[in-house]
Amino acid sequence: MAAWRLSLCARSLSAIRGLQTNHLRWKSSSSRAVIARSSVKRKEQREPTEGWMEDPDPKDENVYLKNSNFHGYDDDPVIDFWNMQVVFFFGFSIVLVFGTTFMAYIPDYGMVKWARQEAEMLVKHREASGLPIMESNRFDPRKIQLPEDD
Amino acid sequence: MLKIIIPSLMLLPLTWLSSNKNVWINVTAHSFLINTLAMATLWQMNETGMGLSQTFYIDPLSSSLIMLVIWLLPLMLLASQNHIKKETDYNKKLYISMLIILQTLLIPTFSANELMLFYILFEATLIPTLVIITRWGNQTERLSAGLYFLFYTLVGSIPLLIALISINSSLGSLNTLLLTLSNYMLNQSWSNHILWLACMMAFMIKMPLYGVHLWLPKAHVEAPIAGSMILAAILLKLGGYGMMRLSVILDPLTKSMAYPFIMLSLWGMIMTSSICLRQTDLKSLIAYSSVSHMALVIAAIMIQTPWSFMGASALMIAHGLTSSLLFCLANTNYERIHSRTMIMARGLQTAFPLMALFWFLGSLTNLALPPSINLIGELLISISLFSWSNFTILLVGTNILITALYSLYMLITTQRGTLTPHMINLQPSHTRELTLMMLHITPLSLLMINPKFIMGNTL
Repeated sequence: MAAWRLSLCARSLSAIRGLQTNHLRWKSSSSRAVIARSSVKRKEQREPTEGWMEDPDPKDENVYLKNSNFHGYDDDPVIDFWNMQVVFFFGFSIVLVFGTTFMAYIPDYGMVKWARQEAEMLVKHREASGLPIMESNRFDPRKIQLPEDD
Repeated sequence: MLKIIIPSLMLLPLTWLSSNKNVWINVTAHSFLINTLAMATLWQMNETGMGLSQTFYIDPLSSSLIMLVIWLLPLMLLASQNHIKKETDYNKKLYISMLIILQTLLIPTFSANELMLFYILFEATLIPTLVIITRWGNQTERLSAGLYFLFYTLVGSIPLLIALISINSSLGSLNTLLLTLSNYMLNQSWSNHILWLACMMAFMIKMPLYGVHLWLPKAHVEAPIAGSMILAAILLKLGGYGMMRLSVILDPLTKSMAYPFIMLSLWGMIMTSSICLRQTDLKSLIAYSSVSHMALVIAAIMIQTPWSFMGASALMIAHGLTSSLLFCLANTNYERIHSRTMIMARGLQTAFPLMALFWFLGSLTNLALPPSINLIGELLISISLFSWSNFTILLVGTNILITALYSLYMLITTQRGTLTPHMINLQPSHTRELTLMMLHITPLSLLMINPKFIMGNTL
């Protein structure tokens, strides 16, 4: 009992004096308090304070560290830059721009305007000559050869 | 036509003879230049199309699809440049060669004058796609995906070969132009029913129709980004194009034979849209949305009215661009977080604002927002389906609703909300990625203004 009391005094004195190397969880105002870290070994480590990524790939490095102007094409900065310029030039400036202009200015796609003009001309011509606008026979009946009635 | 095919073929020596540091620049630049040449095919002068030679014929239906093929090659190259970086130079050139071979095979496929040539090229496109999926896919399931992809398509196309040979021997020619003038009437008999099925099943599987669609989620998900792009944008449309070409010789049997397939596609589009609402995998969601959109195209081609053909052609082009855009966006996610799960990276609008714009535009065009060309296609198809049978409006309307639901679900899950706290290694968007998205969105937006180029040959 006395040994215990002695050790208690010794521990509390050395704790107050900061001689104990264990970190104290809290300081008490009472001089007799002995606060020491729990000697029970915890089962797991505490979770780190920053987030983690599930299964981080060790090969996933930040490509922008090596080349801050990385465009996504190649690790060599010169090739990367050229590739970006080539894609933009040929893809946008040539194909999309010229292609869109071509498609916008295709004359009379599907000959729709021609068909309308031709029809109007025919109607005008036929009304001027007094003929009906359209004949009811699509094909010339004299040219159709029917088989014999068996 | 040779002025497009020869340069595309010559991209192969360009790839192999370029120095290793210049190969991407060279091939991308030259594939863009081929685009400028191919624009001339868009100048369709009349309803009969451009009869370029005895082998090649481009009508307004083919011209938009050929432009889409040729436009997609530089986009595929742009999309693949990052994930292929870690391979050896030999493998990089092999990958680029696969993409070039695919384009060189697809251009004559869409412009073939002869149905047998179309069939041979249709089959030939399977090989480079299989190589791309099984060799450069990311997960172990890619082998099963390649098997599903190859054998589902082959099961449908062997009967097609037999049917084409039989029609050739009875009609004398398989020329697409001559067939429109022929008087080949398929009357109601068992063998003609089987002939109709043999002709159509290959394209139904390719589209894919709802019952035979299982290869598509596997193939799209396991393929690398260029594989997904070309699959979603072009290879599905091969089915629609083939059905449109073959429907001229399959009258009048189509009126009776089409019923089960219209029903399957109407029901299937609702089913696959609903499946999209329950997907956790982002690429799988986009793959099922492809099935849903293509089901509308199947239904439209089966009812064979002028408006439905216009809607089908418009929707094929619009969906090609939109689906490819969404796959590219999903790939930008995948390259950063190495996972396809949607909820892994949420709130990305805060991290990538400009990419969020493209997510937004892509989702809006996917849900067929007016005035996008997706809406033009879907609207024309809905109206013609309604005039075919009033009841279909219930199913198509439900599908439009669910399409809007899952598109917005995908947008809100990935873009809105708070940024997931555990994602700390998200690099800013590369210029390459933003350029890629812009190159998708610009044709989509420009076609909104002038959609007559994509309306097909019944305009």
